[in-house]
Amino acid sequence: MKELSEVIFVEELKYTEDHEWVTGSGATLKVGISDYAQDQLGDIVFVELPEVGTVFAKGDQFGNLESVKAVSELYLPVGGEIVAVNDALGDAPELINQDPYGNWIVEIKPSDTSELEQLLTVDAYRQLLRG
Amino acid sequence: MENSKMTVLHDWHVEQGANMALFGNYDMPLWYKTGAKAEHLAVIGAAGIFDTSHMAVVTVRGEGARALLQLCLSKDLETCIGKGKTALVDGRCVYGIFLAEDGTVIDDAILYQLRSDIFMVVVNAGMGGIVADHLKKYTDGQDADVQDLTDKVGKMDIQGPLAAKILAKVLAHSAGVFDRLSYFSFKGSFGPFASDRVVTLVDGTPLLVSRTGYTGEFGFELFVEIDCLPSLWSQLMDAGMDQGMLACGLAARDSLRAGAVLPLSHQDIGAWPFLHNPWQFALSWNEPMTSFSKKFIGGPALLKSRWQKHTLPFAGFDPRKINAGEGSFVTRESGERLGTILTCTTDMAIGRVDGAIVSVASNKDFQAKGLCCGFVLLDQACVSGEKVVLTDGKRKIIVEIRADVRPNRTARRPMDKMLG
Repeated sequence: MKELSEVIFVEELKYTEDHEWVTGSGATLKVGISDYAQDQLGDIVFVELPEVGTVFAKGDQFGNLESVKAVSELYLPVGGEIVAVNDALGDAPELINQDPYGNWIVEIKPSDTSELEQLLTVDAYRQLLRG
Repeated sequence: MENSKMTVLHDWHVEQGANMALFGNYDMPLWYKTGAKAEHLAVIGAAGIFDTSHMAVVTVRGEGARALLQLCLSKDLETCIGKGKTALVDGRCVYGIFLAEDGTVIDDAILYQLRSDIFMVVVNAGMGGIVADHLKKYTDGQDADVQDLTDKVGKMDIQGPLAAKILAKVLAHSAGVFDRLSYFSFKGSFGPFASDRVVTLVDGTPLLVSRTGYTGEFGFELFVEIDCLPSLWSQLMDAGMDQGMLACGLAARDSLRAGAVLPLSHQDIGAWPFLHNPWQFALSWNEPMTSFSKKFIGGPALLKSRWQKHTLPFAGFDPRKINAGEGSFVTRESGERLGTILTCTTDMAIGRVDGAIVSVASNKDFQAKGLCCGFVLLDQACVSGEKVVLTDGKRKIIVEIRADVRPNRTARRPMDKMLG
């Protein structure tokens, strides 16, 4: 398990309490999982992605990450429509372990950009992990 | 974490950055930085070492030891060895179950005969005291001294096709040790079992080398005095590091054993009658399976049991799983409820080719994506090939009831083939 000092944080991203990251502010947002999350999950062996065009509310489950040990649910940080999914993860789910910030999972068109304000800054997320 | 226990290798696991979790009240590595997938594949293609010193050892000694174990273990000690059905002798070990009077499982075990009056019983983490008390209950004045050696024995496993070649580097006189070391036999002794049949490491440390394991792959379980375990572990790490060997955590151990159709005690076998499961070879059934070849604790209850549920192995069609546990269940494709999920994990070394399961063991270039596999407990029998649905109430995955899961396993390969 990574020590907190080894966990990678990316300053310009926003985070959620479910250990996801969000980037972008305008028309679309990309969503992935944090380095802490991939380290906790261990080897990811399958990514279950939603259909493009599906509309979810904030906090809805939009997919699943399967590690060798267990299945973990993915929740949408901001409500909106799925405009793209990262198909590369279908053939190579391990990309998330290798580079959790370089490999987004879904891209969404937010229905209410004010929901972005509820996301955590990197400092707030770091604080959350410190507990 | 309070009151949880640590093995003597705990510091090493933490220093290596392992993801740790409680198992049987021991703080154990789930996987190291290499990850469970690489660890699982290392055991299929090269070798892996496992800290298994959380497991418990019980000794039974005395003139009445054999009779006590014959009464308590599910396997018939007089007919348990090989196709010839010969008796358990020195240097052989056997897998069996300790049943309660009602035919439910207390624990599974490997029983080692060190001498006609000295036996070692290896049971699961936390079970040493419980199994020892169970045995003591049936000594009935016979000369059988039962001792629980929990946390007093150092145990680790080395598993995988290169296990013998790597172990040979640290063993003194390895050729002699490996000679005729068939599946479920052992050589040597350690601490509490001083004997003249000595096997030692190059550095002189005595050990017991057992041709057994919990992965379905070729390899050994190694027993030493507990203080010697860290040194044995690091010697094997050094010997195997340039061979593709990895230290493996409990996640790889679980996925390897599930693919090999081996049960996890208290999960796949437990507080229900030991019947209608893939492990009936652990009982002393006669040929038509109408009665047992001996009297043993739990046997009469099994013969009278009306237990109708069936424990069956399954494999999926991709790596997707349903977390076993409350709220998860099994249905027919029509939706009719069939039972519960006992184990559901992903064997990372296998995949499907035209529907058939293929392992990387038979084709190194095969890019296995992994298949979910495990055991279900169903209200009725299902035949091999039948498809059932696993669900957590939201997601559904279709899996196939199987007689076996991971092909091309190496556990039973002759010793000379693995050394050549």
